[in-house]
Amino acid sequence: MTATPRLAMTDVVKTFGPVRALDTVSLEVGANEVHGLLGGNGAGKTTLMNVLFGLYKADSGTVLIDGKAAVINSPKDAIALGVGMVHQTFLQVDTYTVTENIVLGTALEGGSHSNGLRAARERIVELSERFGLEVDPDAVVEDLPVGVRQRVEILKALFRGAQVLILDEPTTNLTPQEVDALFASLRAMVKEGMSIILITHKIRETLAVCDKMTVMRDGARVQTLDRAETDAEHLAAVMVGESHGSYETAAPSTAVALGATAEGATHKQVVHGDFAPAIRIESVTVRNDHGVDLIHGFDLTVGEGEIVGFAGVAGNGQVELAEALTGVRPLLSGSITVQGTDLTRAQTSHWLSAGVAYVPEDRHRDGILPKAGITENLILGSHRGRSARRAGLIDWKAARERASVAIDKFSIRANSPATRAGDLSGGNIQRVILARAFAHEPRLLILHNPTRGLDIGSTRFVYEQIREAADSGCAIVVISEDLDEVIAISDRVIALYQGGQAGEWPSTEVDPYEVGRRMTGLSTSRTGGAA
Amino acid sequence: MSTMQKSETGPGGSPPVAKPEARGPGILTNIAWTVVPYVASVVLAFFLGGLLIQLMGYNAVDALRAVLTSSFDTSFGMVETLHKWVPIVLCAYAFAIPLATGKFNIGAEGQMLLGATGGAAVGITFSDLPMVVLLPATLVAGVLAGALWAGIAALLLVRFRVNEILSTVLLNFVSFKLIDWVATRVWPDAGAGHPATTPVGDGARLPLLGSAPAMHSGVLLVLALAIFIAVAMRFTPTGFEMRAVGDNLRASMVNGVRTSRLAGAGLVIGGGLGGLAGAIDVAGVHGRMLEGMQSNFLILGIIVGLMARGSMLALPVVAFGIAVLEYGAGTMQLVSAVPVEMVLVIEALILLLLLLSDLVRDRLRSAR
Repeated sequence: MTATPRLAMTDVVKTFGPVRALDTVSLEVGANEVHGLLGGNGAGKTTLMNVLFGLYKADSGTVLIDGKAAVINSPKDAIALGVGMVHQTFLQVDTYTVTENIVLGTALEGGSHSNGLRAARERIVELSERFGLEVDPDAVVEDLPVGVRQRVEILKALFRGAQVLILDEPTTNLTPQEVDALFASLRAMVKEGMSIILITHKIRETLAVCDKMTVMRDGARVQTLDRAETDAEHLAAVMVGESHGSYETAAPSTAVALGATAEGATHKQVVHGDFAPAIRIESVTVRNDHGVDLIHGFDLTVGEGEIVGFAGVAGNGQVELAEALTGVRPLLSGSITVQGTDLTRAQTSHWLSAGVAYVPEDRHRDGILPKAGITENLILGSHRGRSARRAGLIDWKAARERASVAIDKFSIRANSPATRAGDLSGGNIQRVILARAFAHEPRLLILHNPTRGLDIGSTRFVYEQIREAADSGCAIVVISEDLDEVIAISDRVIALYQGGQAGEWPSTEVDPYEVGRRMTGLSTSRTGGAA
Repeated sequence: MSTMQKSETGPGGSPPVAKPEARGPGILTNIAWTVVPYVASVVLAFFLGGLLIQLMGYNAVDALRAVLTSSFDTSFGMVETLHKWVPIVLCAYAFAIPLATGKFNIGAEGQMLLGATGGAAVGITFSDLPMVVLLPATLVAGVLAGALWAGIAALLLVRFRVNEILSTVLLNFVSFKLIDWVATRVWPDAGAGHPATTPVGDGARLPLLGSAPAMHSGVLLVLALAIFIAVAMRFTPTGFEMRAVGDNLRASMVNGVRTSRLAGAGLVIGGGLGGLAGAIDVAGVHGRMLEGMQSNFLILGIIVGLMARGSMLALPVVAFGIAVLEYGAGTMQLVSAVPVEMVLVIEALILLLLLLSDLVRDRLRSAR
């Protein structure tokens, strides 16, 4: 490394209320360097970069650029200091051309608007040829595929003179060919002296393009590694948590706090195959919001009373899988049968009445009516059912009574059934959603990140409820980014990678390192665990 | 400032664990938080309106007294006010019911005119029929015509995702041409001196109640309808779904509500109520369809619909308040020569202040 690194962030702290999102994190990036920033969800990668780009203000810590202290209060400051960022979602004006999008917000030179635009266009052509970022400067942005639109974003940063370029999960929606092209461009850029920070969770890509990599976990830096001194196995181990000592003694993890070891043991003596099949999924294909068939030819059978856990890093098809299994997202092909009923083409309401209950990941967006009371939120989905109505009309008195019972049973902290759901804390909102799901007397229960952001007490409560439902014969699918959680709760663990099943283990034979390798896209399976 | 803290998901998806627990305001405090902003907005709007009148060189006290009291001074005033209340409240429903599902119906005047045309068509064509048959037929024809007119916008929305604001506004203009053709070509009344149809049959007229200042029975009909709507929105599954969709469309969809169908249904129901407004004015007030009968009920309906904020209980009450102001406007012009438009200024001020009070209230609440 040179004497003064291009970028040096030192002891950066950022808190959100009581949550310490960044805990004295330091990061050094040199010139001519692609630096990978790795970690699971909530590790703090994006938060750290948002601090650097001026979107968040750090509580403490310093940022040096080329050895000089940098004060970054807004993206404008960041751009002036030569920092550019390409976000996961692009902010582009669809009806403008590539050139117009790139110059938008900059001062054009050359006297007149058209002269300035012409000069800008020449520079864009020059930049795109120099770095292999193939793009037609006169194309209208809305006609372009995702990969090209991403190039437009990169050119936007280069056009503004970025010397440090941050890319947030740039490969998520790219084809393999586009990924290769992107990496070639990145190499071309660092060759000319730029620095690139690549936020990612994919080990293969990191190894393919990065010179150095920093692994983050729980808002702290775990380790910074040189490409030369590491390999895939090692990196996977660091990501999954080698730094906490051996996996089994990862003491404060929720799995142990749950006390699952004793209770779970009895539950888990049943072997896969002992369950009568409850849900059959056959060669299902689902499209994501970007028009990509993320899940393709997916097969799965879940038995009555079986808990199947999907482990994986976000963006590998979790949302699409959850919504396909609950009738929220239409299937492009394939079929889903629940307890002998074919629900492939059914309305969402028919899925509900067939006993499919869903605890979505995004509680606020998909889970609750914020302005309505707990009573209304609990009845939503079953409001057309016979038990909810009297003489055709909704029986609100009975609904209120049921809500009171649920508030007691699920220990929802609220004054009354009329308390607005939007006024509840995150944990209590989750309890409302769970109460609704269990009130459906589900025969198939889909839970997506069911305990994210919950305290240990609430987490334990959720696990107890899941177990209870499984014991009464409900088929359960838990999709979670928390590997500990998946292992603690499931009878069968499946690793999810890029919309496919990258490995399957009965709970008795799960090796967390192996799961970690598979869910980050490594197919080599080595017996014996950690590297 | 650059602290763009996402409120719920927090940094990188790990949400802040502790959020302020729900406070425990009693029912009375809750009501106070709702009512005080209304009262304050009305008082302040009248104060500002009065200031404006004074600045224009009129006597503000006399003008405002005329606006506020003339409805209650005479029984004639009350009847006129109630006759104004009917189309205002119906046009307000025409706006508020689709709004509950998150859709904006800006076509109440077109739907009203179509309803009037439908009602007049039946009332003229079958003018010899007895009232038991003709009156219900006239009103139903009005409802259907309004519903069909809004149905065009609903179909465009559900099938082709055409923005409903655009389609309902544009259909208003089509309706003007359409009723012009009906009033000048199909059933023109040459002696009217104004584009209008010939009168409907006696059997199509709403019975009058009371004498001297007689009130048409459409007022009672709409009162019953107001109760029915409040009950239906609260107690029927469809009404619940409409409110749910307006609250959170995604969560409703995830929980099995067919959101696009509901949005279309909301527009059609709203259109039907707009149509009823037209048919009642034909059967109760004018006895015929005439150009210009839509007055400014579209805009008043929107104002009332927004002021009621989704409450189907508050809506008829708010509409009555606006009807009082609208009737008082005429008296004000007579008494103190202030132009009637001044009342629209006050109404707009009430709405603006009410919307502003949301900000103030949230600041106050979080400061507590």
